Amino acid sequence: MFDDIKTADLAYVGKKAGRPDMVEKLTGEAMFVSDMELPGMLHAQLKKSPHARARIKHIETAKAAALPGVRAIITGEELDYHIGLYIVDKYILAKGEVRHYGEAVAAVAAETLEQARAAVEAIEVEYESLPPVLHHMDALKPDAPLVHPDLGTYSYVTAAFTPKPGTNIANHTKLRKGDVDKGFAESAYIVEREYSCPSVQHVPMETHVAIVQWGKGDKVSIWTSAQSPFTVRNLFCHAFKLPHINVRVQTPYVGGGFGGKAGIGVEPLCAVLSRKANGKPVKFQASREEEFSLLPCRSALTYRIKTGISADGRILAQHMTMYWDSGAYADYAVNVTRASGFSASGPYEIPNAWVDAYTIYTNKPYGTAYRGFGHVEFHWAVERHMELIASAIGMDPLEFRLKNALRPGCHTMTGEEILPGTGNVVKCIEEAARRVGYGTLTAAEKAREKKTGWKIGKGVAALQKAPAMPSFTATSVVLKMNEDGSVLVNLALCDYGQGTYASIRQIVAERLGFDIEKVKVAFENDTDRDPYDWQTVASKGLLLSGNAAILAAEDLLKTAYAVAGEALRANPRDLAHDGTKVYIKHHPSKSVSFSSMAVGLAMPNGNGIGGPLIGVGRYIAQGLSNLDKETGEGNPAIDWTYGAHGMIVEVNEDTGEYRVLKVASVYDVGRAINPDIVRGQAIGGMIQGLGTAICEGYIYDQQGRLLNPSFTDNKIPTAKDLPMEIECAVVETPQVDGPYGARGVGEHSMISVAPALGNAIQKATGAEITHMPMRFEDVWRAIQKKEPIDNWITKSPVGSCRSAPELRNHE
Amino acid sequence: MVYEFRYLAPRTASELAALLDGHKTDGKILAGGTDLIPNIRNGLMKPRVVIDIKKYEGADRISFGSDGLSMGPAVTINDVLRSKDARERYPVLCGCAHELASHQIRNRATVTGNVVNASPCSDMAPALLCLGASAVIRSATGERIVPFSQFFAGVKKTVLVPGEFLERIVVPAASAGAVGRYMKLKRIAGHDLGIVGVLMTRHEGRLRFAVSSAAPTPVLVDTVTEKDSPDEAARKVLAAVSPISDVRGTREYRVHMIGVYVRRLLAEVR
Repeated sequence: MFDDIKTADLAYVGKKAGRPDMVEKLTGEAMFVSDMELPGMLHAQLKKSPHARARIKHIETAKAAALPGVRAIITGEELDYHIGLYIVDKYILAKGEVRHYGEAVAAVAAETLEQARAAVEAIEVEYESLPPVLHHMDALKPDAPLVHPDLGTYSYVTAAFTPKPGTNIANHTKLRKGDVDKGFAESAYIVEREYSCPSVQHVPMETHVAIVQWGKGDKVSIWTSAQSPFTVRNLFCHAFKLPHINVRVQTPYVGGGFGGKAGIGVEPLCAVLSRKANGKPVKFQASREEEFSLLPCRSALTYRIKTGISADGRILAQHMTMYWDSGAYADYAVNVTRASGFSASGPYEIPNAWVDAYTIYTNKPYGTAYRGFGHVEFHWAVERHMELIASAIGMDPLEFRLKNALRPGCHTMTGEEILPGTGNVVKCIEEAARRVGYGTLTAAEKAREKKTGWKIGKGVAALQKAPAMPSFTATSVVLKMNEDGSVLVNLALCDYGQGTYASIRQIVAERLGFDIEKVKVAFENDTDRDPYDWQTVASKGLLLSGNAAILAAEDLLKTAYAVAGEALRANPRDLAHDGTKVYIKHHPSKSVSFSSMAVGLAMPNGNGIGGPLIGVGRYIAQGLSNLDKETGEGNPAIDWTYGAHGMIVEVNEDTGEYRVLKVASVYDVGRAINPDIVRGQAIGGMIQGLGTAICEGYIYDQQGRLLNPSFTDNKIPTAKDLPMEIECAVVETPQVDGPYGARGVGEHSMISVAPALGNAIQKATGAEITHMPMRFEDVWRAIQKKEPIDNWITKSPVGSCRSAPELRNHE
Repeated sequence: MVYEFRYLAPRTASELAALLDGHKTDGKILAGGTDLIPNIRNGLMKPRVVIDIKKYEGADRISFGSDGLSMGPAVTINDVLRSKDARERYPVLCGCAHELASHQIRNRATVTGNVVNASPCSDMAPALLCLGASAVIRSATGERIVPFSQFFAGVKKTVLVPGEFLERIVVPAASAGAVGRYMKLKRIAGHDLGIVGVLMTRHEGRLRFAVSSAAPTPVLVDTVTEKDSPDEAARKVLAAVSPISDVRGTREYRVHMIGVYVRRLLAEVR
């Protein structure tokens, strides 16, 4: 849809451009909800369940209510609102039964935080503890307790999901392509293995926080640290059955989200407290511990893959079964399952494919969206599997990947044909491999091995992801010209740290032909002011909102040309413009300035024409379709961003200790609108991916209590954990319908970092690691061929990675 | 957790001793607060009275004299790292101090707090054990000196009795110049509690090992001699510890890594 122009011919796109939020954030001037205080504001605190599963017999609040400063106390019993993104399965406060450790059962609003805390401690809850179901594989057993016995009565999005009432299966996504049995029958080798990864936490710098004021006439004002103000408004209105016009959601600067603030969070809780406290604004900010167990995490995954390969190393058939641990509520996990289901093979052609992806309820904190939306987890499996297949059939893993990688003419598992403009995963893999000197060790590396005694290994892993979003996802951008001819950009796609606003600003300045200093993107978002955007998720922001920004700029120019044409007595077709004025092409001295037209042009005699200059850009995803629920066939992807990581690691074989010497990441971004921001996303996501690869993960005891509910034992990497050398590069195969050819890369940098590390470790030591994270002890055990520790649920009878490789020859 | 307590800040050491004598059952000493405050916040400790040990004259003194290096109860980890005497004469002390938590926490946390807390994973204890340091313990009724080899009594337990406080740590002058290295196994390269830690010092022909996170208390092993083979040395050290399995690692791996560290240290500390 959009012209592909050489970067050399562009003024701003593809060039260096600073972030509009930089100074405010560096100086602390930027205002976050955490900073906000409203007159008369109350503070909320929560009473939380110490049990993974229990019946709530009685909640005694009288003592708490009598304490000083307490203005409202609410228990689940008095609320009847069910909330949920795709399956409406959650109460605002637990009602009747608690379903995970840390779930809120009662809430207090008081004049000070201390009073609210004291009141929460004075609330007494009588529980009858029930046996929890903790491991998602245990939850599939016929005698497993049901987390949601009433699943059959819940409403859900029927076009996309298939819950199984009477079981713990919240959703079953299927994909069937070709003839798998035939493919296996024709295979020379069959490799079947199982991979796993635990739940992890997003760890945004700003924990979840909201202030809600339930005003007179049910007019509700919400200030929240969220990724998607319009989705907060929409879900909120559905839950409370309020007209959308009654609810206003504002998101000032947001201190990170990574998917954890994608849907609706603590807003309903503050709302019911505010309503009960006669409309006083109520603020709740989660503590770091609450971030780990009250708020959602990333789902754990167990992934079994069985692959049939021809004698010359071509994949003929693949059978894939994903078991996603949803935790106590379906939230985004069901859609993670769906999106992972159609992408489950990674960027490889699978002629005969069979996918069953299950989302499974357990009595644990629930899973939600997390950067990559399932792709970090299942690429761990797929890209380790590719490595293990290659080593099992005696082929180089890089060659095996290249042989099976998607190329133009190939078909994805949902039947979509790969076109030359789709993106080039082959080039990404080759470039990542080249940048780490894959396949050999340099003289310096050999000398280093000799000196340290540590083995150096090099690995490569590829990745793909398309936005997981409704087929009709839409957005809009509005440009408003100011009196001096500068332009204000309003949009509801949020910039919560990823830097999209810098790129939007470049696109607007580019298309208007204005000096970039004259373009401002309004940072704080407001559903009463900004035009609609669905959500800031899925790495779709730049593509959809970038297109809308181009359309808005064109609309503004068209309006300006109409006014100028009238003023200059010229046909708009004969007009041109520069950064300050519209002029007649064949009489360039005859012009009218943008500033004079900005809010309506006054003619010399005083007559007014035009009116304020506003440009509107609307864009909706095109050509996408629902997937067939039985076969998974259809078109789910607006764009595929491909990429690959190359990694060099040195490993001590005697201890399992390792150091990452180099990471080279390559993505086909179509066009890097702002190369520094692409680099920022590339490094930020890579280190986040490395964190989940080296140490992160929830560990539970047998009662379902989180054993590492804080930074003491739930470590995340620090600056000291950065690899010694980092390279980022882009391949630019223009996206034909992307703004200036661009496609998204926000999530991709986190995907396949872990398998690149696992593959490099395997190259160095032969260790066949199939579960994440790879702590030094895990690596040591794999090298020593010892039983892996399965302490994600301590002493769980269910092993997470005990499957042995199955390799058989089909003569 | 909302918890109210009285906060007292005595101005002299004798006033401190008298206050502690009067609050033997309900008082807690506040030094850096990096353990006490989280413990109060998490409801694990409920002192009625919190007595700040940092405010009396001389509490933050670190000095070197004929006795050796003397550190008052308010001396922070970063004070040690900034001290010229510590850096030049007791590099081992600084090596361990560097491994303790993050820079921000080292600004608050004190050396005495780290040992009085008596966590098995104390990072300062190995240095004090290997350097032969002593605890000068004071109370309203007198003073006693306990070598750190006899200071720890169990998990989070020391020989201090109610009413007593650790007034000074003295690292003997005779230990000045000891060389050594502290190896601490962590989950990330940044700040972390140790999975295991092993310190080895070599001084005037004498070897000493101290191990953290491998027994109910930090452990000193001074039976290894120059004549022992690396394997024999590892055997001696391992005989003195009893690691457990927990979320940070298994007993099996801890045992293995202690042996690895002992052998590495013997090769590296010269």
